[in-house]
Order: sequence, then structure tokens, then C-alpha cells
Amino acid sequence: MSETNDDYILEVRNLCRKFGSRKILTDVSFKLKRGEILIIMGGSGCGKSTLLRHIIGSLKPDSGEIFIGGQEITKLDDRGMAKVRKRFGMLFQTGALFNSLTVGDNVALPILESSDVSSSIAELVVKLKLELVGLTGFEHLKPAEISGGMKKRVGLARALALDPELLFCDEPTAGLDPVMTSVIDTLTVDLTKKLGLSAVVVTHDMTSAFRIGTQMIMLFEGRVIAQGTPEEIRNNPDPILRQFINGDADGPIPLKLSKDDYLKRLMQVE
Amino acid sequence: MLFAYAQLSLRAFAALFAPLFGGKRWRLSALFTQMVNIGVASMPTVAMANFLLGIVLAIQGAGQFQKLGATDLVASLVAFSILREIGPLITAVIVIGRSGSSITAELGTMKVAEEIEALNVMGIDPVKFLVVPRLLAMIIMMPVLTVLGEGVGLFAGWLISVTSLHLNPIFYVTNSIAAVEQKDLFTGLLKALVFGGVVGTVGCFYGIQVEGGAEGVGKATTKSVVTSLTSMLAADALLTTLIYFT
Repeated sequence: MSETNDDYILEVRNLCRKFGSRKILTDVSFKLKRGEILIIMGGSGCGKSTLLRHIIGSLKPDSGEIFIGGQEITKLDDRGMAKVRKRFGMLFQTGALFNSLTVGDNVALPILESSDVSSSIAELVVKLKLELVGLTGFEHLKPAEISGGMKKRVGLARALALDPELLFCDEPTAGLDPVMTSVIDTLTVDLTKKLGLSAVVVTHDMTSAFRIGTQMIMLFEGRVIAQGTPEEIRNNPDPILRQFINGDADGPIPLKLSKDDYLKRLMQVE
Repeated sequence: MLFAYAQLSLRAFAALFAPLFGGKRWRLSALFTQMVNIGVASMPTVAMANFLLGIVLAIQGAGQFQKLGATDLVASLVAFSILREIGPLITAVIVIGRSGSSITAELGTMKVAEEIEALNVMGIDPVKFLVVPRLLAMIIMMPVLTVLGEGVGLFAGWLISVTSLHLNPIFYVTNSIAAVEQKDLFTGLLKALVFGGVVGTVGCFYGIQVEGGAEGVGKATTKSVVTSLTSMLAADALLTTLIYFT
């Protein structure tokens, strides 16, 4: 049994995963201290969503270890995993609210399902959580009746329903306007400070990444190519990282995914 | 594929019966919602289909029996075939088209929208939360709908025989009762129970394993309907054979 330091809420060690012969994650390692916000960034298809799915236990790695609050999770069965999952909350990219339930019932769901609390207590907790994300009074609406930004905030309230130690956010600001992006960012920072929780945020929105992150890692082709505080990342001379942060079209990041010769393929057309 | 289906079905039935052995109780509100969706909402269509088939059976039977000069036998033909075969079968066909498909489409859309993964992450078992209420509602409502359908089908046969074939309304009823045994009724209901289990598990299975967006939901729904129909007919053949030889 390997040991971990209790200061770290999350630790990933030498994580590797292949889909068929394609390497998606190669030797990914990082640590997250309690109370910090870790940003995982990288372009589309770099493996960041796959990495997150491994950490929440939806996927199992080929090799490597993941520790959440000191417990190794890659070898847990469904029941063990369900226990660990009570310690973290997750905000999904689209909110993943249940359309048949009202906003209030969506937030109440993890509370009612995980324990035998009475519905009046659950209702009280729902009010507290909705107040945290600034949506008091919206309990009775259905997800279809509220905007995209509000859905994400409800998703956040639901992720916080069981008072987790660790919060995962998958592209929390994708598809939102700049103001709503800022609202979600401020909320994430506030909540980590107020509630003392740690967060892992997957994003490719650089403005929001530098606004909320206290630790950052950059994934490229399934490898961690840079790691550090926002300051260190900003001063990192790595050309791939520079291109990604500045959003330049020209640089070392390959645009073409096909490797055979374009001209040759053109000539093959009869 | 078959293994994954068997695995899901076993887990679903285990979770379904768990409350009987001291497990966590059923989610009654979800069960009632599904019973209304699957059962109550299907009633008009099931009644209409059985009504029409009752008429068809009576008239076609009359055409043949007339040649033998035994039009009275129409009553036994209608009663026997509706209770044993036509009632459960046509009811299951309607439920597959209406509710089996909608279960797959609903669960598939939830899968695509990450809702099923969200349940997993919250530590809620999607089998208990989503599959059990639907499966249980299917198993309860299929026999209920079948009884309703059979009643309407028998009535349709009587109505057409009395009005168009000039059979005696009272003799028709006594002939019907004489023609069938209790076993016929129970055979039909046993079939309905099995069909409910098949349609419920197949519908949920295809829904939960949807991959690849809207197209995936469409494909899974088609597969679910086709598989439900063929497995339902296979179960029918198997049960009919088993009951015949026992």
C-alpha cells in the first residue's frame, strides 16, 4: 500500500490509458493540496476529459494510481466507489440536470438518496445551497424553463448538496457569455474560500483559468507538458504552452490530424 | 452484447425484489409516474386495437363456419383465441410501439446529456433509480392492459356477431363461457407477465447503452423495438409450446 500525505486531497500517479493502440494518457502525475483550485487545460482531444473521467471513477486506467483524500480508487468496486463519490461533487458541462424534476428536486436528489433525512430537512438544505449560487426562489421551475448559465449554477448547487471536500468542474464556462463566465468564476473562488473545499476545473478558457486557478497543468497529446502556479505557467517559455495561452493560429501545435500527403490524396481523385 | 443484457436484467431483477427481503423500499412516486406513462396512457390504443381484432376474428370465423353451417362456433373461436393468444400479443405489440420505444429514447437522451453519469457520480445506482420503476411498471401494467384488451376484444366479437351475423346474444355468451377454461385466461396472463419483463428489460438496456448523440438515440430506439418484438414472439412460441405439453 502506497502512502500519501494528508495535505493532499487528490493525487494522480503515473496514470496511463490506451484506447486500442491510441495512447490517450501517458504517465500523467500531479498533486492537489487542500483548499487549492487546480486547472487542467489543453486543446480539444488532448485527453483532459478522459483524465477527469478516470478521477471520478467512470473509467479505469491501464496503469497508475489515483488517491482521493488518501484513498486509492482505481481498484475499488462499485460499492466502494459509491462511498468515495459521496466525498466529491461534480458540475457537468451541460449541467446534467434531470429534466423531469424541478430545480429544487434536482438539488434535493443526492440528499434524499444518500441518507434517510426527512424531506423538510432536505428542503432546508436545498434553500441554503440555492442561496449560495444566488438562485433562491427558483425551486419550482423545471430545467427547461431556465437559462444555460442558471442551469450551471443549479448544477453547482447540486454538486455542493452533500458538502463535498472536492469539487470537479468540466468546462464550467463553455457556452456562456462573458458576464456569466465571470459570475461562475467568482462563485467557484468564493465557494472554495468560504467552504474550504478544493476544486479541479477542466477548461480551455484561458481568461477564466488564470482568474481562478492556484495550480495549473497543461496536457498535450496525453502528457503533462507544464505544471505550476499561474505565475510560473505565464512565464514558462515552452512554445506549445505559449501558443495555447496566446491563442495563436501559428505555432508548434499541429492542425492537421491526417499524416499522409495532401497532394498525393488530391491526385488520387479520378 | 447478450452478456451485458443478461447482466443488466439480473441486476434489475435483484434490485426489484430487494425490498421484499428487507432492502431499501421502492420509489413509489417514480413507480406511479411510470405506471401512468406506460399503462394508463396506453389504454385507449390497446382497447381500440383489441376491439378491431375482435371484429376481424368474428367476421373471418363466421365466413368459414358458415360453410359448415356452424356459425355458433364463432363464439368459441373468438373467446379462445383472444384469451390465449390475440389479447396478450396485440397488447404487447402496442406497448412495445408506444412505451418500449419511449423508455429507450428517454434513457438514451439522459445518457447523452450526461444525466446517467451524473447519477453515478452522486453515488446513486441508475439501475435502482431508473430501470427498476420502469421494469416494475411494465410487469404490473402489461397484464392489466391485457385484461382490459381481452374484455374489449370479447365485447367487439359479441357486438358484431349479434348485430351483423344474427346470433343470439345470450347463446353467444353461454357458448363463449363453455368454450374456455380458467387455464386459458391464466395462460394469457402468464404470457403478458413475461412480455412485460422482456419489453421492460430490453427497452432499458438499449437506452442505457446509447452512445453518440441524437443519431445514437434513434438507432438504439429502432434496435430496441425490433429486439422487443422478436424476443416477445420467441417467448410467446416458447410459452405456448411449454403449456401445450404440460
